[in-house]
Amino acid sequence: MNANEMKNMKHDCPHQQECLQLLQSILDGEATQEQKDKFMGNHLEECMPCYQNYHLEVAIRDLLRKKCANQAPQDLVDSIKQKVIQNLAR
Amino acid sequence: MEEELIKNNYTDAQKQEIFDKEFMPNINAMYNFAYRLTLERDDAKDLLQDTYLKAFRFIDSFQKGTNAKAWLFRILKNSFINDYRKKSKEPSKVDYQEVEAYYNSEEVDRQITPDLRVESLGNMIGDEISNALNSLDVDFRTVIILCDLEGFKYEEMAKILDIPIGTVRSRLHRARNLLKEKLSEYAKSMGYKTA
Ligand SMILES: [Zn+2]
Repeated sequence: MNANEMKNMKHDCPHQQECLQLLQSILDGEATQEQKDKFMGNHLEECMPCYQNYHLEVAIRDLLRKKCANQAPQDLVDSIKQKVIQNLAR
Repeated sequence: MEEELIKNNYTDAQKQEIFDKEFMPNINAMYNFAYRLTLERDDAKDLLQDTYLKAFRFIDSFQKGTNAKAWLFRILKNSFINDYRKKSKEPSKVDYQEVEAYYNSEEVDRQITPDLRVESLGNMIGDEISNALNSLDVDFRTVIILCDLEGFKYEEMAKILDIPIGTVRSRLHRARNLLKEKLSEYAKSMGYKTA
């Protein structure tokens, strides 16, 4: 999107919360193709608040996946495996 | 739960195979879930071990070829509620329904439009988002983990959490608003620091 196109966008969205819910179900893979096409194609190109929300939602998901994962400690993994083997041996 | 009605009669070799090939590959995601629920490393370890041993004990009620990850997450969530939530340091949420009703009101929806920009997220290179997530009420952080980190579908989440899909949807929406609110607080305090 270039600067000129940005300038022509609406700066208010009368349905911002509803749009946000729809946007989230699209990103969650829970929206229909029709909802997706309509929103991503038409609405995002003309609505600044929703355009910004879209990028914010995507960025938060990226950050969550990058920063909020944890590896199980190896000694714990080994001990769980060991206990299961003992269980089977009984 | 309907899954418990299914009774397979796996041989030891089959049990071992299911455990190794279907249960173990989920262990990091399961550990993270346990940690995000308990917020204590030691409790998370105990909860994870209890869950895996329980899963093995009830392995005959797991149907091969179905979603092992969702099955395991459900056991972990139930163990947490039954065995850990009671003794956790988190203040008990006796008025949880009130909380949920509050967050579901349209009133709040209008109030919570956090002023957060993509650019400020770029500065959050430390534990900000992890701390923000951990600060949310356990039911809100749970839906974010299941959806945004683990990629469960709404229907799977409804089964894991024993709540209707509509509740999954609305709880997720509130949870994300609350997370943004928290992040925008961080963004503000970071802004003051650099100013
Ligand atoms: Zn809009």
